[in-house]
Amino acid sequence: MAASPMVNPGDKPVWVNTDNCKACDICVSVCPSGVLGMKYESTSTLGAMISIDHPEACIGCNECELTCPDFAIFVADTKEYKAAGFSFAKLTDEAKERQAAIVANNYMSLSEQGVK
Amino acid sequence: MAFNYDKYLRLEKMPTLWCWGCGDGVILKAFVRAIEKMGVSQDDVCVVSGIGCSGRFSSYVDFNTVHTTHGRTVAYATGIKLSRPDKLVVCVGGDGDALAIGGNHTIHACRRNIDMTFIIINNFIYGLTNSQTSPTTPKGMWTVSQKAGNIDPTFDTCDLAIASGASFVGRESMLDPKKLEKLFIKAMEHKGFSCLDVLSNCHINLGRKNKMVSAMENLEWIDSITMPKKKYDALSEEEQLNLLPTGILKQDTEADEYCDMYAEIQKAQQGLRKPISQDDFAKKI
Amino acid sequence: MATREVISTGNELAAIAAVDAGCKFFGGYPLTPSSEVMHEISDLLPKVGGVAIQMEDEIAGICCVIGAAMAGDRALTATSGPGMSLKAENLGLAQMAEVPLVCVNVMRGGPSTGLPTRVSQGDIKQASNPSHGDYRSITLCAGSLAECYTETVRAFNLADRFMQPVIVLLDETIGHMHGKADLPTVEDVKTGIVPRKTFDGPAEEYFPYECGPTEAATLNPMFTGYRYHFTGLHHDKNGFPTEEIETCRKLIQRLEDKVMAHQDEIESNEEFMLDDMTGEEGEVLIIAYGSVSLAAKESIRHLRAQGIKAGLFRPITIWPSPADRIKHFTDKIKNVLVVELNIRQYTEEIERASGRLDLEGLYKVNGRAISPHEIVSKVKEVF
Repeated sequence: MAASPMVNPGDKPVWVNTDNCKACDICVSVCPSGVLGMKYESTSTLGAMISIDHPEACIGCNECELTCPDFAIFVADTKEYKAAGFSFAKLTDEAKERQAAIVANNYMSLSEQGVK
Repeated sequence: MAFNYDKYLRLEKMPTLWCWGCGDGVILKAFVRAIEKMGVSQDDVCVVSGIGCSGRFSSYVDFNTVHTTHGRTVAYATGIKLSRPDKLVVCVGGDGDALAIGGNHTIHACRRNIDMTFIIINNFIYGLTNSQTSPTTPKGMWTVSQKAGNIDPTFDTCDLAIASGASFVGRESMLDPKKLEKLFIKAMEHKGFSCLDVLSNCHINLGRKNKMVSAMENLEWIDSITMPKKKYDALSEEEQLNLLPTGILKQDTEADEYCDMYAEIQKAQQGLRKPISQDDFAKKI
Repeated sequence: MATREVISTGNELAAIAAVDAGCKFFGGYPLTPSSEVMHEISDLLPKVGGVAIQMEDEIAGICCVIGAAMAGDRALTATSGPGMSLKAENLGLAQMAEVPLVCVNVMRGGPSTGLPTRVSQGDIKQASNPSHGDYRSITLCAGSLAECYTETVRAFNLADRFMQPVIVLLDETIGHMHGKADLPTVEDVKTGIVPRKTFDGPAEEYFPYECGPTEAATLNPMFTGYRYHFTGLHHDKNGFPTEEIETCRKLIQRLEDKVMAHQDEIESNEEFMLDDMTGEEGEVLIIAYGSVSLAAKESIRHLRAQGIKAGLFRPITIWPSPADRIKHFTDKIKNVLVVELNIRQYTEEIERASGRLDLEGLYKVNGRAISPHEIVSKVKEVF
């Protein structure tokens, strides 16, 4: 039986269960660091799907996991992540600007056009 | 790995039937996180829900769960709690469920101060049945049952609960899940009736015809009408008019709890103490 | 069987019976003429560690009882006509979710506010289907003071056997009647308690609503390590809501069949002075139930003394009706008189069971009891 989608599939700071994602944009809106964005996906709800574009910028604040209504996005447990020798990023101005741009782009990834 | 949500969810029912971006899912998550933090065994928890989108809450969580008729959530829960007073009983209902058809039961559960927590998921509309006016729908908004504009005044859930005698009253929204989780823990640990007004978004029904088409717009609106209690208290009456204070609005740890009082009745009837009289109470009327 | 003599009223006997039968929870609301059941049981239950609560309305009264039953307790409520109307929706949930409980209805003049302190048998039809949808009601009717006790005891065992509400009909006459009753001993009642079935195996193998097509659900009490879901929606074997076509069809059919396939366990009648009836000319069959049957029996004694061979068929289990047994007698005996304190409510069922449309009836709806004299006169008038 496949491992639960809640288990970290690799050594990622943040990962998604696309089966549960309903493309509501909330996680993208609360991320301070421009890690996330929506990508067009014609086969899914609202024609979009969550995409982790900049995992290296994830600061481990857990806002996305806590505000996701659908158990679709998960953040590594800080202690476990550190014990495995990894660390979350620090929040940079560049990341904040990228986040502002993503919001202005209607929560779509910057590589996508922002009209849904 | 992340928090073990799997333990608390009926995974075969996922994903939920709630709309994309619905606050119900955030509230569900905060609730299971609170239960985990409290360390209560799943077998000792009963979640009772009513009819509506919030009513589906109980079918998604792996506890002893009951999905009741519209508005009767706390009445069912009263029977469960009185039969098993040592168990954790939590009610979940919507604004229509708790304040319209169930208004009377909500008032009396507050009055009895029976030890349970009532999470009233207030999305300001009847969501599941597509947009009818609820007792908290803002005046002037469009609803399917009042297409020329809502003329019904609203309840303030927390004022109602406080006036009815609940010993723990609080309000949060799903905008801040961390605060919500903390409020849940405090409410459930409190001995007495904990009545919580949990503001949520229904952009699909309330929002769509009221200029809040997306989840984000609806969330911004909720943000604009809420303010933490301390800040709220410092405002003038005029400034407070269109705001709802959040946080713990009342907490009385001294109030008599109903199951405890009934245990005294049992003792009295079994000859282990004298009957209850007026002298047992400071506030008699 | 040993008996003991108790002097009490019908309402109080129902309350005492419930406690003796292991009832641990009462929820209700005052409603004339049933309130004394609540008064008595709220005194008795805390003595045995049970709980009795007067709720804020009739609806809350049935809801908390269903909750307590879900938690695993034997639970009782008591009301009259207007309260039954209010409780209807939630009685339906108890039927659908297969929650056992006993609901005493002390019938009074209706409809609506009617005659609060006067007798009628006007809730017979309502008892067969108080709530919307398809299911089979189990309804018992006490015809004596002793039966106010014994039928309440039987109701609890039937509720646990069939996993649904059981309605016990009293009426204002018998509820307030004060007199002697010969009751079974408390020991015999306790030995006769048959609690609901439970599942003892591993939790992963427990499916509360998975059972044969004529079986009742096996619902373990809450908080015992078996977590499942109660709902009024159509549901699957775990109790989770579903709209799947076959699952829904099977569920509703099973609610019907779990009762109708086992009528022999539910049926109970009294056949009073019917042994010597052969079907010859002039014999009179009276059909009556509840307090009316007391007058009917007295009238039969008078009729026989006057040379008219009369006998009484008295259904004690009203629903499902003893259709076959009714037909057995209505096939044999030409003169049939139905006596009830309503307008033909049970007569229509007797017509259906017997296939006869020529039954005579004595119907009274003025809030007063029927006297033996009225029955004697009617028999002489129509036969």
